[in-house]
Amino acid sequence: MTLAELELGVRAKVVRVLEHRGIVLRLMEMGLTPGAAVSVQKVAPLGDPMELLVRGYRLSIRRNEARHFEVEPAERAS
Amino acid sequence: MSERAPVVVLAGNPNSGKTTLFNALTGLRQRVGNYAGVTVEKKWGHAKLGELEVTVVDLPGAYSLVSRSRDEAIAFSVLSGHAEELLPDLTLLVLDASNLDRNLYLALQVMELGGRVVIALNMMDLAGTMGIEVNAKRLSEQLEVPVVPIVAAKREGLGALEAALLATLGEAPKARSQPVLTVPALHRLEAAMPTNGADASRRQAEATWMLATIAAASDAETEGTHEDPLDGRPELNEARAVARTLLSEQPQLASELITARYERATELAALASTQRSAQGPDWTERIDRVLLHGVGGPVALLLVTALVFQSIFAWAEPLMDLVEAIFGGLGDGLRSILPAGVLADLLVEGVVAGVGSVLVFLPQIGILFFFLALLEDFGYLARAAYMMDRLMAKVGLHGKAFVPLISGFACAIPAIMATRSIESTRDRLVTILVTPLMSCSARLPVYALIISALFTSEARVLGVLSVGAVLLLTMYLLSILFAVGFAALFKRTLLKGPTPPLVLELPPYRVPRLGSAFRRMFERCVVFVRDAGTVILACSIILWALLSYPQHAALSPEVEARRVEIAFITDPEQRTEAESELQAVMDGERLRQSYGGRLGHLIEPVIEPLGYDWKIGIGLIASFAAREVLVSTLGLVYGIGKDADEESTSLRDALRGEVDPRTGKKVYTPLVGLSIMIFFLLACQCMSTLAVVRRETRSWRWPAFMFGYMTVLAWVGAFVVYQGGRLLGFE
Repeated sequence: MTLAELELGVRAKVVRVLEHRGIVLRLMEMGLTPGAAVSVQKVAPLGDPMELLVRGYRLSIRRNEARHFEVEPAERAS
Repeated sequence: MSERAPVVVLAGNPNSGKTTLFNALTGLRQRVGNYAGVTVEKKWGHAKLGELEVTVVDLPGAYSLVSRSRDEAIAFSVLSGHAEELLPDLTLLVLDASNLDRNLYLALQVMELGGRVVIALNMMDLAGTMGIEVNAKRLSEQLEVPVVPIVAAKREGLGALEAALLATLGEAPKARSQPVLTVPALHRLEAAMPTNGADASRRQAEATWMLATIAAASDAETEGTHEDPLDGRPELNEARAVARTLLSEQPQLASELITARYERATELAALASTQRSAQGPDWTERIDRVLLHGVGGPVALLLVTALVFQSIFAWAEPLMDLVEAIFGGLGDGLRSILPAGVLADLLVEGVVAGVGSVLVFLPQIGILFFFLALLEDFGYLARAAYMMDRLMAKVGLHGKAFVPLISGFACAIPAIMATRSIESTRDRLVTILVTPLMSCSARLPVYALIISALFTSEARVLGVLSVGAVLLLTMYLLSILFAVGFAALFKRTLLKGPTPPLVLELPPYRVPRLGSAFRRMFERCVVFVRDAGTVILACSIILWALLSYPQHAALSPEVEARRVEIAFITDPEQRTEAESELQAVMDGERLRQSYGGRLGHLIEPVIEPLGYDWKIGIGLIASFAAREVLVSTLGLVYGIGKDADEESTSLRDALRGEVDPRTGKKVYTPLVGLSIMIFFLLACQCMSTLAVVRRETRSWRWPAFMFGYMTVLAWVGAFVVYQGGRLLGFE
């Protein structure tokens, strides 16, 4: 699944980036690289953008850009 | 060392406390200027390290050295020694200890360039409360550069930092035992890089940077819409071609580069820090639950905005009155000591009044920037952008355009100065171009005069609202509509480009510090007076000359007769009153015969279709100084005196009674009033705004364009209202 579809509050890991163009590279430089842990903390009052927790800080990006990151939710604690 | 003072360049992520450290190192000895050829602000100051005087330069905060525009390329040019105006001897990297991964990413990029580096590990206190313990010594061993833990806000660790800077400056730059980053695939590119004296490690770093910069610009959506950051570097042309080929063969190369650097950063952070459970509550999370709440968030934003505006209106106005009173008094004082004549007139009405018209903006600029600094320090500005982004994206702008745009309701000048937070040059320009359409406070006196003079206050709309209130509300709504509409239009035509992506850090909340807010406020005021003040002053002197020359107007026979009559009045009180009345009439006559007055006649054919006569034309010309000047100019034109304000009943009566001598009909009908209001809503009747736009865009092209499009828009708007109204049967 992509980061845009990740449920609120679920911890996940970036698996790979689906494109190699400008905006994706920029977000990678903000820490969204393969292997990084990420979760969606909040969604803005109007439904977009979303607030991510990545590498210990809060980063806000739009869903449109989140689609370029494939993520894998961590195993839910049983 | 050469005889020039060594240059220490401060680099770091936004929100890393870089500016706080800069302030702590340089104290009050700071200057603000501009880098040549770009709109990036250059901040530098002086510091003493023991006996050694150094120049400290504060680079704009950045997450990466990869550049997406010429403005962003400045950081790299300076750090790699390509900016001739500024050759660094040492780079002082400021890292946020509470967020080490991402901060180390930039640090690695900087260190790849080689040269002397000292690291200040800032916000050790915040890291502590978050349960993060950073071992500076271990980090220093790994990175092979001095690492000094500090808390810049509390001035802790500064002594040790200064000692480390001094020691490092005293040594030759050390070669590293191993390169920071090795990318075998890049050897081909490195070979193509111009040698010109750079050592191998710097050549490698430049090759890496160029590849990343070219890849960063390769966005299908933004292709061709961004200016090239490599512009002006023809020596790189060959290497550029190699980089392009390399990227087309291995498109994943740029992202692999980032991943590799991040892996190293993560590894370093893990080696140098330990994470325990946080000591104490996560305040940011708690505050966000309220301030970013689905309903509470927007309500809070509305309250904060209202509070800021209320403060501007409540505090700026008395201060502005004070500035005006001081300069009025200064003018009177000068007049009393100077012999009457051209010199006195020039000094008093031209220079002193002109300086006054520059300084009168300071209260609004100061108060707005004071609040913006507090809100930014607190961490709220980023959150306002986050909440408003969806709406702003609809017209193709970034959430960060919200604050400047809304500030335009107070005054376009500080609002335009506040657009600096928008990274993309194009989007910043679009925001600058539409901000003056927001109905600023200087338009209020114009609306107030027209409404009170031409619309009956008894009439009600829907039984409750007065006509005046409805008109005022309409003006504000129209101004939002036009600003947003034109932003969308510019984004699709003149400054065509996709909606800029949102990449926005929401920093942890911090207690804002008054000292730094005052500093920011002071800095903005200085920049305004220095960079825009001269233009405004020159314009006001020209306007003054236009409206007061030629000085010796031929007086009409009625005035001459009245003057003789007054000489016979015996009662001193009556006589003074009659004299001041006559003076007002004479002032009016002089104004009407001045060059400006003649210009009013000259433009009459152009403004006639809007329902205006040449006297309103004079008002339009004079109000270029500032919109509210329309009111006092009309006071002068109608012989009531220059002190008339929008509350003046005699001015209202004069407007109501004014009759066109040719048609015998009233000049000011409600329809004409509406046409005037629309004209003032849309026209760029403000030389100070244009002066600030010139300052912010570094050219006359954009202020000229702004004046042009807004004037045409105002004319068309007023034409549609007036002629449309007449077609519908209104007078």
